[in-house]
Amino acid sequence: MSEKLLEVEDLRTYFYTDEGVVKSVDGVSFEIKKGETFGLVGESGCGKSVTALSIMKLIPDPPGKIVSGKIEFEGEDLAKLTEKQMQKIRGNKISMIFQEPMTSLDPVFTIGSELIETIQLHQDLKKDEAYGQSVEMLKLVGIPDPERRMKQYPHELSGGMRQRAMIAMALACRPSMLIADEPTTALDVTIQAQILNLMEGLKEEFNTSVLLITHDLGVVAQYCTNVAVMYAGNIVEYGSVYDIFEEPKHPYTKGLIKSLPSLDKNVERLEILEGNVPSLIDAPKGCRFQPRCDVCTDKCIDSFPDLRYVTESHMVRCHREAGK
Amino acid sequence: MKRYIAKRLAMLIIVLIGVSMITFVLVRMAPGDPAVNLAGQHANEQVLESIREKYHLNDPLYTQYVIWAKMVLQGDLGTSIASHDSVFSEIMDRLPMTLELSIFSMTIAIAVGVLAGIVSAVRQYSKLDYSVMFGALFGVSMPVFWLGIMMIYIFSIKLGLTPVQGRIETGIYINKITGMYILDSILTLNWPAFASSVRHLILPSLALATIPMATIARMTRSSMLEVLRQDYIRTERAKGLSERAVIYKHAIKNALIPVVTVIGMNIGVLMGGAVLTETIFTLPGLGKYIYEAIMAYDYPVVQGFTLFFATAFVLINLATDILYAYIDPRIRYD
Amino acid sequence: MEQRKRKTRLQETVHQFRKNKTGMFGVGLLAFIVLLSLSAPILAPHDPYDASLDRRLLPGIWSDESPDGFFLLGTDSQGRDLFSRILYGGRTTLGIGFVALGIALAIGISLGLTAGYFGGYVDDIIMRFVDIMFAFPALLLALVIAGTLGRGIDKAMIAIGITYSPQMVRVVRSGVLMIKEMEYIESQEAIGSSHFRILFRHIMPNSLAPIIVYGTLMLATAILDAAALGFLGVGAQVPSPEWGLTLSASRQYLLTGAWWAATFPGVAILISVISLNLVGDGLRDALDPRLKGGAKL
Repeated sequence: MSEKLLEVEDLRTYFYTDEGVVKSVDGVSFEIKKGETFGLVGESGCGKSVTALSIMKLIPDPPGKIVSGKIEFEGEDLAKLTEKQMQKIRGNKISMIFQEPMTSLDPVFTIGSELIETIQLHQDLKKDEAYGQSVEMLKLVGIPDPERRMKQYPHELSGGMRQRAMIAMALACRPSMLIADEPTTALDVTIQAQILNLMEGLKEEFNTSVLLITHDLGVVAQYCTNVAVMYAGNIVEYGSVYDIFEEPKHPYTKGLIKSLPSLDKNVERLEILEGNVPSLIDAPKGCRFQPRCDVCTDKCIDSFPDLRYVTESHMVRCHREAGK
Repeated sequence: MKRYIAKRLAMLIIVLIGVSMITFVLVRMAPGDPAVNLAGQHANEQVLESIREKYHLNDPLYTQYVIWAKMVLQGDLGTSIASHDSVFSEIMDRLPMTLELSIFSMTIAIAVGVLAGIVSAVRQYSKLDYSVMFGALFGVSMPVFWLGIMMIYIFSIKLGLTPVQGRIETGIYINKITGMYILDSILTLNWPAFASSVRHLILPSLALATIPMATIARMTRSSMLEVLRQDYIRTERAKGLSERAVIYKHAIKNALIPVVTVIGMNIGVLMGGAVLTETIFTLPGLGKYIYEAIMAYDYPVVQGFTLFFATAFVLINLATDILYAYIDPRIRYD
Repeated sequence: MEQRKRKTRLQETVHQFRKNKTGMFGVGLLAFIVLLSLSAPILAPHDPYDASLDRRLLPGIWSDESPDGFFLLGTDSQGRDLFSRILYGGRTTLGIGFVALGIALAIGISLGLTAGYFGGYVDDIIMRFVDIMFAFPALLLALVIAGTLGRGIDKAMIAIGITYSPQMVRVVRSGVLMIKEMEYIESQEAIGSSHFRILFRHIMPNSLAPIIVYGTLMLATAILDAAALGFLGVGAQVPSPEWGLTLSASRQYLLTGAWWAATFPGVAILISVISLNLVGDGLRDALDPRLKGGAKL
């Protein structure tokens, strides 16, 4: 059960632009086990999407490049695979769904042809067999009247339906891992819960691990087993969902949790984190959170903290906290 | 979709009426006695009187228009001063030539333009991309008549590869079925005629195709670039599709939709260019016809021709719009 | 809190444009050409109308047969200096283009502003009219207008100007519609500014950007059309040194080997139009800021 599925080790993905080198992912390491839902949290621009795209090796080159790191998946280092080899893995062993269902489906192809395309690409099936499987997938993701939907175009479906269709496409070949990049951010709140529950259910049924990328801590709390909190290209805290929510160590994590509105608390104003995310081109020498941290020391300005264990499962990147 | 077509057809009627009004007014604006304009300089008083009768030239403009419109609807587009033939029949005689030239040119323009645009977009920033864009810039800035002249000079005069003018070598017999020599020679398996007519048509077609080709190439390129930036292309890649399939199956299909509109717009450019090209290469088509008519002050021809052409153009535009609505599923299923 | 001064669309476009190297090159080239044309009286070595039959069709300084007296590009069929004729011809050809664009702007701006701003009934009528005008292929329309009105430079200007008006109306109108949607216009109306005031102080300046961009591109084709009309004999008339006219007059002499008279005026047209297209393209790219080769993350 706690078998390792994916191990990312010291991943660095940089973008070479006219303005300089943007170090979107600058030394990220984590592990996803079979059957778990792993949450990758952080605000916009922290590098979580880039991390996901790096795993899939979908980083546009130019201007991006996976500079170094190991991405071990089912025994192979994805970083070393060729494009052709990756194509066999994408959609097949690892699938990804994206944030905007409105624009993520090809408008001139029917849902049916998209599904059949995926299935026939990775499995040796005839057209009618692929068709049958496609209809089954649509049923599984909870789309009523699936045969009619097969013939429809994306614009004829609602946002929630489209996201379900995307999930159907992603899971059609029973991948071992599903990467979901903010899958519900663009959807109505009521639909959000439906989609997440759907994913949870399918995960169980297909025994697929999920890498869930989000900025919504509420979602993380409810669905994830383990969590990594990212900030400015690094992971600053890493642990089980209990560790993160009950015993947050990093000032950033603490700040995020404090700023969640809650029905229990009775406050005049919501807490906010002052300041802005630092530039990823000219990252500061020391801790990157330091300019916004209200408990930082001189050491934090000068030296970049390493990720250190606080308990067996819980790691943090902070001079103050790790020192205890 | 059906609603769209119905709406466009209703618009069509209004536009055609407007077109006919403008054509009518245009020619009436010509300086001089309208009767003389319609009958010619050399007409005697008797002829002038009968013209005044026929077109009700002494009545108010509105009446004149209605009379003329009635005639047009019955198929009478006027009588040429120069030849005394019906304008309509003269147009029909020369139509195949221009049609042939236009189809040939448009085919070249679309084939080369679309291909160049796609390759250019897929290999953005490469030397190929820059050369195509550079070439397209030249193409779009090129005066067609000058290009034609230069081509004749280089290929016909200096290199002797192609004939200087005309449509087919004199002396070669051709059986006219459609009036389009290339097509007819294929249909009758008349290979000497085929070879000759192709040799005659190649230079003018290339010259005429230049501006549309360049415009189409640019449009295809920018459309492809736009499409390749879209989210759904990323989704297709995430499915594990080969780059080939992503580009040639998905990207192209999306990118070519707006190109259809550009092609439609260029048909008008093609028509204008045909006037110049036929004049330079001495091809007996509609372009040469209208040019000669204008130079000879043959107003009935100018009037009839303009109406014919504007109508044809409106119908072609409508066809293009409907085609566009059909191929884009977002509009088709609405 | 410091309030950033709102840049008009035009200012932003120009700012972006400055960064575009090919566009700036186009501006330089265009300026050079215009300067040459305007300085024709100073620069031209000979009188463009000075014909001399014993100097007919002689080559330029690259050949031994070039006549004495510095005939840079040779002579035409009337013995006139080709270089001087090209310099002066620029004023005619480019002049027709510019004036035609001016006419198109005048009609386009007045109708476009009216249609866009007042909307409703007025908009519908104007746009129907525009659609009708679009039914005529451009060059043919210009040809017919110039042909029926009579020939000459002024008729060519009017003909081309009228031909390009519908397109300009559309550009202006869409620019106006974009601005109209913006909230600060509503607030102006709420204050009670008169229609005129709103139109001229607020809408016009912000709609200028697309007008300038598309105007430049239209000027490019207008010049091609001006030369085409000249070539066909419907625009400039003999003995004007207009480029298209010169080409048509010199065409037949290609057979005798006197290629220069039928080549250089064409090159002049080509370079002028290229420079305008370079500027226009650059402006258009600057108007629509797109991420140049940006990655979708």
